[in-house]
Amino acid sequence: MEHTLLIENVTKRFATTLAVDDLSLAVPRGTIYGILGPNGAGKTTTLRMVMDIIVPDSGRVSLLGGDPHRDRAVLRRVGYLPEERGLYKKMKVIDAIVFFAELKGMDRRSAKSDVLAWLERMDLGKWANAKVETLSRGMQQKCQFIATVVFQPDLLILDEPHSGLDPVNQEVLRDTIFQVRDEGRTVVLSTHNMPQAEAMCESVCIIAGGRKIVDGRVRELKRENRANRFVLEFDTPSPQVERFMHSSPLFRNRSREGPLWHVELADGADPRSVLREATGLDVQVARFEHVEPSLHEIFVEHVTSAARAGREVARA
Amino acid sequence: MREVMIIIRREFLERVRTRAFVLGTIAFPVFMVAVFVLPRVMADGPVERHLAFVDESGTGIGDRFEDFVALGEATGSGNRYTLERVPGTFAMLRDSLNARVQREEFDGYVVLPADLMTSNRIMFRARNIGSEQVVRDLRNAATEAVQAERLRAAGLDRADMTELLKRVEVDDAAITGSGAEGRSAESTFIFAYIVAFLIYFITAVYGASVLRSVLEEKTNRIAEVLVSSAHASRLMLGKVVGVGSAALFQVAIWTVAIVVMATRSDLIAEGIGVPPEAFAALSIPASQAVLFILYFALGFLLFAALFAAAGAALTSEQEAQSVQMPLMLPLFLPLLVSFRVTAEPMSTMARVLGIFPLTSPLTMPMRIAAASIPPGEIALSLGLLALGLLVMSWIGGKVFRIGILSTGARPSLREIVRWIREA
Repeated sequence: MEHTLLIENVTKRFATTLAVDDLSLAVPRGTIYGILGPNGAGKTTTLRMVMDIIVPDSGRVSLLGGDPHRDRAVLRRVGYLPEERGLYKKMKVIDAIVFFAELKGMDRRSAKSDVLAWLERMDLGKWANAKVETLSRGMQQKCQFIATVVFQPDLLILDEPHSGLDPVNQEVLRDTIFQVRDEGRTVVLSTHNMPQAEAMCESVCIIAGGRKIVDGRVRELKRENRANRFVLEFDTPSPQVERFMHSSPLFRNRSREGPLWHVELADGADPRSVLREATGLDVQVARFEHVEPSLHEIFVEHVTSAARAGREVARA
Repeated sequence: MREVMIIIRREFLERVRTRAFVLGTIAFPVFMVAVFVLPRVMADGPVERHLAFVDESGTGIGDRFEDFVALGEATGSGNRYTLERVPGTFAMLRDSLNARVQREEFDGYVVLPADLMTSNRIMFRARNIGSEQVVRDLRNAATEAVQAERLRAAGLDRADMTELLKRVEVDDAAITGSGAEGRSAESTFIFAYIVAFLIYFITAVYGASVLRSVLEEKTNRIAEVLVSSAHASRLMLGKVVGVGSAALFQVAIWTVAIVVMATRSDLIAEGIGVPPEAFAALSIPASQAVLFILYFALGFLLFAALFAAAGAALTSEQEAQSVQMPLMLPLFLPLLVSFRVTAEPMSTMARVLGIFPLTSPLTMPMRIAAASIPPGEIALSLGLLALGLLVMSWIGGKVFRIGILSTGARPSLREIVRWIREA
């Protein structure tokens, strides 16, 4: 089995809106995969279709090699953290989590000891016997994360896992997700927080308006999407450098940030000629680097150009 | 099946472990006992009255009246009176008597007028006229005194006449199917009413609990996690049975308490000072008890399924409050007409209510308690109730399945019908 999760040409229409439009994506096993997009892009709808909570109008979902709609047993091997969280408020923390673990097939005794270990790990050990409603939202969220992961699912589906957590707990959660991945499990998470996705995900799929904008491995996406932007740094400032940087026709744009020059090359300009001319100046070149765009830049670029294309189509 | 058991266990424990459950378990029998025993214990406890007495009749009736009142013989209420004779006529004494009553020298005064034998009327004035028993006592004593005087005038002896005019009491009891004698009319009504009220009470309380907890799971999105582990229909089954078993557990505790009370009723009756018959209503023949539990269980499941579907279709606590009452109405209806149903258990109304599945869980126990119902009719009623339960679970299951995961605005009735057709 190549992929843990495969979505093929899935479409879902609600009364007046097209929530997901012919979406396809493939999640490789043992990786952290991000579904990125602005609010209302269709992230949650997509994840709910994967979990068979809503049924797609057309298209196919293959989960751990099975069809979740026909074979519900595959859902037992999936941990799902919905966007809006909730645990039974009146239950003790330990009982509430053990209940979900039992439903996923664990026996009560081993569930109990595993949940306790997880609570310790998440710094919630002394809350095990407190009622859920006495915990803060952030703590409840960590509890629910434990309920999602404690039964050792093959796949974790986390809808906006970081929202509502403080920075310290965001870090705790991130480390735990890495650990889960290192144990060979697959994680699919949705977020609109690009720096976070960039720090965690090996592969991403960016969607907007229910359509896929771009997907692939983050490293490749960055390489494919890097523009003509470079950073130049010289050992010491010099008037010659100053003159070169401001007058050379090789640059379309330049800006200075301390000792660093951010430049954009003119169309057709060869980076090698830039390097050649720079090395001929009176001070040494300390750095010459092709800048890779951040996920955020790729996202903004693609989403706006997709929107522009959409408008042009509409005009035509 | 394993998931269903896990859900049943959670629902059961969540309810049984609450303080409300413990308090409710204790409070209900205490409340029931209070309803029975308190009126007997507190019914117009004996009062004392110090009254002025003006006798204008002058025929010897006054002396007799005084004796009857003072002895409490004619009154028999246990109230105690002291009469203080004030010489003179009422017209003369009126102002001073009123003043003395206001000064609280007396609680009031009684006047036997001169024309008592023809007017049949005495006069009673008091600061506090509230106790009807006092008025009754005075009326009885005056009546006896006047009657005795009339009998004497006719040459008859009062003691003989009392013996001759003794009232007849009716010893009433229902005849049960097996030919044995059952309980009395009053006792039957009380018993039937208790059983019906208990079924109503438990179904209403626990049914509302089903509705609210489904709503909680829906609004908290717990449902999304639940249905990714267990199919929605199993979720609903587990919830309804789990809540139902908590209700049955509570009923079982009460039953044990009642059995203990029934076997020890003499002691308890003595302890709280009521006649032992007061507890007669508590003894239940085994065959009836089985039918009651059957009607309770089927009725509860029927309404619980209805409430589970309602909880899944609604979106907020406020909506739940406004919907709860109309849903409960068919359950409550038989209680409104309980007097008619127990008085005329074979009337058309009682029969119709006893056969219709939404009203039969309360109507039939009342009818069964009041009279011996033909087994065929019971079988038909139970059969229809079971059928109603199946239909309700089927429809409710569909609404539940879609409703519990739907988000956004509350669905219209037409939309719910569409869910039922499509699911």
